[in-house]
Amino acid sequence: MRKFLTVLAALAALSLSNCGYNTIQSEDQEVKSTWSEVVNQYQRRADLVPNLVNSVKGFAQQEKDVLLGVTNARAKVGSIQATPEVLNDPAALQKFQQAQGELSSALSRLLVVTENYPQLKSDELFKNLMAQLEGTENRITVARNRYIKAVAAYNVTVRSVPTNFTAMMFGYKEKPNFTVENEKAISTAPKVDFTPAPAPAPAK
Amino acid sequence: MTAATIRAGWLALLLCVVALALAPFARADVAVPVLTGRVVDQTGTLSADAVARLDQKLKAFEARKGSQIAVLIVPTTQPEAIEQFSIRVAEAWKIGRKKIDDGAILLVAKNDRKLRIEVGYGLEGALPDVTAKRIIDEIITPKFKTGDFDGGIEAGIDRMIGVIDGEPLPTPQPQHEWAAPESMDELTGWAIPLLFGTLVLNGFLKAALGRVAASGLTGIIVGAVAMLFGLVWYIALVAGFAAFLLALVIDLFGGPTISSGRRGGSGGTWTGGSSGSSWSSGSSDSGFSGGGGSFGGGGASGSW
Repeated sequence: MRKFLTVLAALAALSLSNCGYNTIQSEDQEVKSTWSEVVNQYQRRADLVPNLVNSVKGFAQQEKDVLLGVTNARAKVGSIQATPEVLNDPAALQKFQQAQGELSSALSRLLVVTENYPQLKSDELFKNLMAQLEGTENRITVARNRYIKAVAAYNVTVRSVPTNFTAMMFGYKEKPNFTVENEKAISTAPKVDFTPAPAPAPAK
Repeated sequence: MTAATIRAGWLALLLCVVALALAPFARADVAVPVLTGRVVDQTGTLSADAVARLDQKLKAFEARKGSQIAVLIVPTTQPEAIEQFSIRVAEAWKIGRKKIDDGAILLVAKNDRKLRIEVGYGLEGALPDVTAKRIIDEIITPKFKTGDFDGGIEAGIDRMIGVIDGEPLPTPQPQHEWAAPESMDELTGWAIPLLFGTLVLNGFLKAALGRVAASGLTGIIVGAVAMLFGLVWYIALVAGFAAFLLALVIDLFGGPTISSGRRGGSGGTWTGGSSGSSWSSGSSDSGFSGGGGSFGGGGASGSW
């Protein structure tokens, strides 16, 4: 009897691992960890914003509405939950993405405005903040790309035969992914060029 | 046409779409160059002397510090931005040590007049974005503007080395002549010596300590030796445990049963890392390979 049970347990384990249970587990984990990296980098950007606003304020107080726009967008981003539960709720992800997108465009507006203040642009602190912002934007792009790939891999597993039966049995559903609308606006980091003599601009 | 078949059809269609999205990008992106050495110059910009000097410098730096730095010069990264191309190169080359991630790449796209310092996770503290940006703006590009690429790159690398030297990193391991196995498949090559070691060791210890204690100690020692030989820690753990069991079994049943040393399919999924071995042989110039370091997009870009 015990032998029989052992064999049965072994069979069950084998069939599960063959039908992708373990694959789903590891891919689900991958989605979660890439997501936390995305949130992490967005947080890093949000932390930079107050310093950036202050440093611009010192030179360009009259740009009140632009500065206010950035501050408000930053506040909105801070108010949105970004727990892994968001991952199973397309609407929540949409909201998260929208808030981050608004902050992105508010930041781009701010950067456009700074072009008119040569003194600000030569300020050491501002330069450093810009370098950090550029780096952070690039990290966000990388993290998002990795997340998109992880979700795509997971969704394929959950949808394809035979692993979709295992997924159904254990209640693993498809996860929403970042949409491509305004992807361009979000993923292009604001470019700031500090070279005094502009080089011949390459075709963009 | 029942609803179910229509649904199934849609599902199949969707799958095709997703699979397409997952397929390696079929756009005409610049291919990642092969990592032929610490300095890869596809444009013939650098003089042979400069390449030799850089190579020497970077090799000495790796031997002293453990960090890997690579230099890549390509004609262009179009249609991609330099950042996108750069992260692809970093992911392919895996410069820097595995788990320490202390690699950096200095990338120059000559015809685009753009350059970038790509920094691995482990160096983001020593070489933060601001510092990378300043090295580009204040040290490299002024020389590039006068057409002095040799000087610009050498000065930039010198400064990067200097900055990284300011941060304590784990000391480099002695260079092994062999590649450290990083996955279960590679363990089989080690199983035979481990097996013999276990038998001999256990024989000695049993006389001194008695059965169970000897088996336990044997397991611990074998595990430690496996670690010393550069096996990944969890594999070393498995080896140690296997040695312990083996020693016990041998004690219980008397005669040793020499198995082929092959372990069958294990139930667990082992995340064997990249099979790229961590250490260049040190004797030849061409034997440079990345150690498995990972990157997350840190660093800075500039243009001249």
